[in-house]
Amino acid sequence: MINFIQFTFTRAFLAFITLLLVCFIVFSLMELVPGTCAERYLAFKNTQGSSITVEDIRAEEKRLGLDKPFLYRYGKWVSNIIFKGDFGDSCILRMNINELLSGRFLLSLAIAITALLFSYIIAIPVGIISATTRYKSIDTTLKFISYLGIALPNFLVALCIMLFMTVYFGDTMTGLFSKDYETAPWSYNKFMDFLSRAWLPIFVLGWNATAFALQTVRALMLDENDKLYVMAAKARGITGMSLLWRYPAKHSLGPVINSIGFDLNRIFSALPIVALILILTEAGALLIEALARSNDQQLAGAIIFLLTATIVFVNFVTDVILAIIDPRIRKGVMGGG
Amino acid sequence: MSNLLEVKNLDVKFDTDEGRITAVENISFTLQQGKVLGIVGESGSGKSVTAKSIMQLNPGNTFYNNDAQIILENENTLNFVSKEDLRKIRGGKVSMIFQEPMASFAPAIKIGKQMIEQLLIHRDINKEDAKKISINMLKRVGIADAEKRFNQYAFELSGGMRQRAMIAMALSTMPKLLLADEPTTALDVTIQAQVIDLIKDIIREYQMGVIFITHDLGVIAQVADEVAVMYLGRIVEKGPVNEILKNPKHPYTKGLLEALPDINNLDEPLKPIPGNIPSPLDRPTGCVFRTRCPHHNPEGKDGKIEMKLIEVEPGHWVDQCGIQCGQNG
Repeated sequence: MINFIQFTFTRAFLAFITLLLVCFIVFSLMELVPGTCAERYLAFKNTQGSSITVEDIRAEEKRLGLDKPFLYRYGKWVSNIIFKGDFGDSCILRMNINELLSGRFLLSLAIAITALLFSYIIAIPVGIISATTRYKSIDTTLKFISYLGIALPNFLVALCIMLFMTVYFGDTMTGLFSKDYETAPWSYNKFMDFLSRAWLPIFVLGWNATAFALQTVRALMLDENDKLYVMAAKARGITGMSLLWRYPAKHSLGPVINSIGFDLNRIFSALPIVALILILTEAGALLIEALARSNDQQLAGAIIFLLTATIVFVNFVTDVILAIIDPRIRKGVMGGG
Repeated sequence: MSNLLEVKNLDVKFDTDEGRITAVENISFTLQQGKVLGIVGESGSGKSVTAKSIMQLNPGNTFYNNDAQIILENENTLNFVSKEDLRKIRGGKVSMIFQEPMASFAPAIKIGKQMIEQLLIHRDINKEDAKKISINMLKRVGIADAEKRFNQYAFELSGGMRQRAMIAMALSTMPKLLLADEPTTALDVTIQAQVIDLIKDIIREYQMGVIFITHDLGVIAQVADEVAVMYLGRIVEKGPVNEILKNPKHPYTKGLLEALPDINNLDEPLKPIPGNIPSPLDRPTGCVFRTRCPHHNPEGKDGKIEMKLIEVEPGHWVDQCGIQCGQNG
C-alpha cells in the first residue's frame, strides 16, 4: 500500500512537472508572437479612432508589467494560475479571463467527455465483435464504416449535417442553444434545449473518435486473440462468452484505457474547428478567435493551459487505474502483496 | 492392451490466400494407455498440427479428409461438434501442455482461478473441492508453498515452476491422454531434467497415454516408448525408441541423429542435414524428402515413387522412398 501511495505521488508529481513544462512552452510561444499585449490593445483602440503615441504604449506596458523580464513574468503567470486559479485579464477584451471562460470551458469539457464516453461505449463492444468475426462480412462492414470515420474530416461531416438539417428541417442546428435560451440562466428547460443541440457536436466529434477507438480495440483484441494463452484456455474446455471476456477482452483493457488520454487529446484538437463551423459558444471557438483573429495571447494561453491540464490529469488518472486493475503493474508498484 | 488412441489416414490442410496447403498427410499411429509416443521433427513438420487435430484446436481454415479418423476410446473425435463433446477432448479426456508456460497462463488471471475454472467445467464439484484438488495437484508436481502459488500470477513464478504449475493444471482433470507440445524446450537443462522426471513419474502414477512432441532426440530417448519421425507432414519412420535410435533406416532420421553433437569429440564440426525444409507452398511431389536426400537424382524416378511405410523389423516401419534414397549411394 505504501508503494501504491508512493507510485501515485510520483505520478502526480511527474504530471505536475509536465504541466509546468507545457505552460512554459505555451508562454514562450505567446511571447514569440510579434507585439505585446499593450501594443495590441492600443492598436485595437487605434482602429476605433483614437490616436496613440509611443509613450502611450510604454505606459501601458508598465501598467501591465510587460517591462519585467520574461522568466519573471512566466513565474508570475504560472503561480497566479496554480495558487490563485487566476488567469489574468484578456489582452483585447479587458475582462477577467476566469469570468470569460468558466462556463464556456465547462461546456467544452462536457462536449468532449461525452463524445469520448460515447465513442468508447460503442467502440468496445463493436470492436470486439469486429475482431471475433474477422474476415466475415460484419467485420468488413464495420471496418469500412470506421475507415470512413477516420478518413472524413470532422468539419466535412459537420457541414454535411448542417446542409441536411437546413434543407429538410429549415434549421441549421448550429449553436449550443436556441435563441430563446441563449442568454437565459440555467434551468431544466435550458438544459433540455442544450441537449437537443449538443448532440450534433457530440456526434461529429464522437464519430471520428469512435472510428479511431474501434480500430484500437479491434487491433488489440486480434493481438490478444492470437496469443497462446487463449488457445491454452480453449484447450482446457473454456468456451463462449467466458473465453471471450475473461481472456482476450480482459487483457486488452489495459491498452484501451491507456489510449483514452490520447483520444481526448484528439477530440480537443478537433473541437475548435467543429466549434467554429457549428458556431458553438464554448472555449474551443474562443481559442480560434483568440489565436487567429484578435491575437489575444493571454486568453489563448489560458485555454491551452486548461486543455493541457485536462489531458495531463486524464493521463494521470488512467495510469492509476491501470496500476489498480492490471496485476502485472500492480505487483510492480506495490510489491508482493 | 487395447488402444487408447488410434489415428488413421489423417490429412490436415489449411486454406490460405496462396492456396490450400498440406500440413499433415496420411498419418496413422496408435497409442496405448500408459505409453509415451514421441513425435520428432523439425519446425514445420506437422507435429503440433497433428496434436492439435486431436483436440480440434486448429484454426478455422483447417480441412480434414473425410476418411480420416481419430479414435479416442471408441469415439471418432473428428466428428465432435457439440460443446459437450468438444469439452471431452478439450481438458476432459485430453489435456495439453505447451512450450511456453508463461504464454499459456492468462497473464492477468491468478493461477488458482484458472485451475478452478477448468475443474468446474469438467467435473461436477463445488469451488471448495476444486480448490483443494488444485492445491493438492500443485503439491504433487513439487511446488512448495502451493497455497501461496495458487493465489499468484504466472509472471510471479520461475520458469520451471510455471511449467510444473501448467502440468498440474493439465492433470487436475485426470485426462486419459496428455499432449505435451515441446514442454521442455524453453527450459534450461537442469530444470528440463526435473520436468522430464516429473512427467515420467506422473505417467506411471496415472497410467495415461502421452504424445510427447519435441525436436530433441535426447529428450525422446529419455521419455518415449515409441517414436514417430515426421518430415513435411509425413511420418517417415516409426517404431520402438531403442530400435529407431540404434538402427535408423531413413536418411532423415539418420541425419537428425548425426546432427547431434558428439560429446567425445567436440572439435568435430556439426553435421547438419543439408538443404532446408521446402516451403509448404512448394511441396515436393512423390517422396517429400527427395529434395534433401543426399543421393537424390532430380531427373530420376524418385519423384514418382509413392510414399509408403514398410515394416523392416517387427514394429519398425520406414518409408520406402527413404530406403531407396539410402540405397542409391
